[in-house]
Amino acid sequence: MNEEKRKVLDLLAQGKITVEEAGKLLSALDDSSAETVTDAGGKRIWKYLRVQVEPGPGSEHGDKVNIRVPMKLIRAGLKFAAFIPQQAQGQVKEALREKGLNIDLAKITPQDLEDLVSNLDDMTVEVDGRDKVRIFCE
Amino acid sequence: MFPLLLHFKIRQSGHRAFGFYFPVILIWIILAALLIALLPFVVLASLITWRRGPGRMLLLVYPMMVSVLWHLSGLHIETKDAENEVLIDFQ
Repeated sequence: MNEEKRKVLDLLAQGKITVEEAGKLLSALDDSSAETVTDAGGKRIWKYLRVQVEPGPGSEHGDKVNIRVPMKLIRAGLKFAAFIPQQAQGQVKEALREKGLNIDLAKITPQDLEDLVSNLDDMTVEVDGRDKVRIFCE
Repeated sequence: MFPLLLHFKIRQSGHRAFGFYFPVILIWIILAALLIALLPFVVLASLITWRRGPGRMLLLVYPMMVSVLWHLSGLHIETKDAENEVLIDFQ
């Protein structure tokens, strides 16, 4: 479920809009999502990677973070991984492996990024029951 | 599309917000001048280190840097805590 649809359902749950209005909004969102960009194989092309951090119910005055990164910028920036010195690459690779990530930064290709992003979809993580971290693509 | 404007805003508790719009084209011009001025040295370093490998990468720095700057449009970073707010937005 994308961000806009979630907001409409939140408004409906809060009673700020009626069921009919929610239906119209959701239909309008469906129409606009039909215009999403897809590649030759029909796979959706994501334009942005979004990271949102919101305070949880117990910490309304906590930190809020809203980051939107163009996917093209990420692809362009990945190329700079090749500039990491060999020794540092080994250390980074070892550190990632300890975390359970078997990734070689110097060999990440745009296709690897696409695969990672396509499997990401919409991920929400609650941290310590306070902050909510949401990572998704749009 | 390359970014045209940088919107920067910062607010600290107890102070008024400070923000401005900055034409990114000025950054492009300054950076282009710097890259052109450094080009002879980069080419020389590239030729010297060509056989060992880094030479090829050095020449790729220029198009990589242009690619990163070109795709900054749409980058939006916004953080807010109890005391501070920072906004960086490339439009």
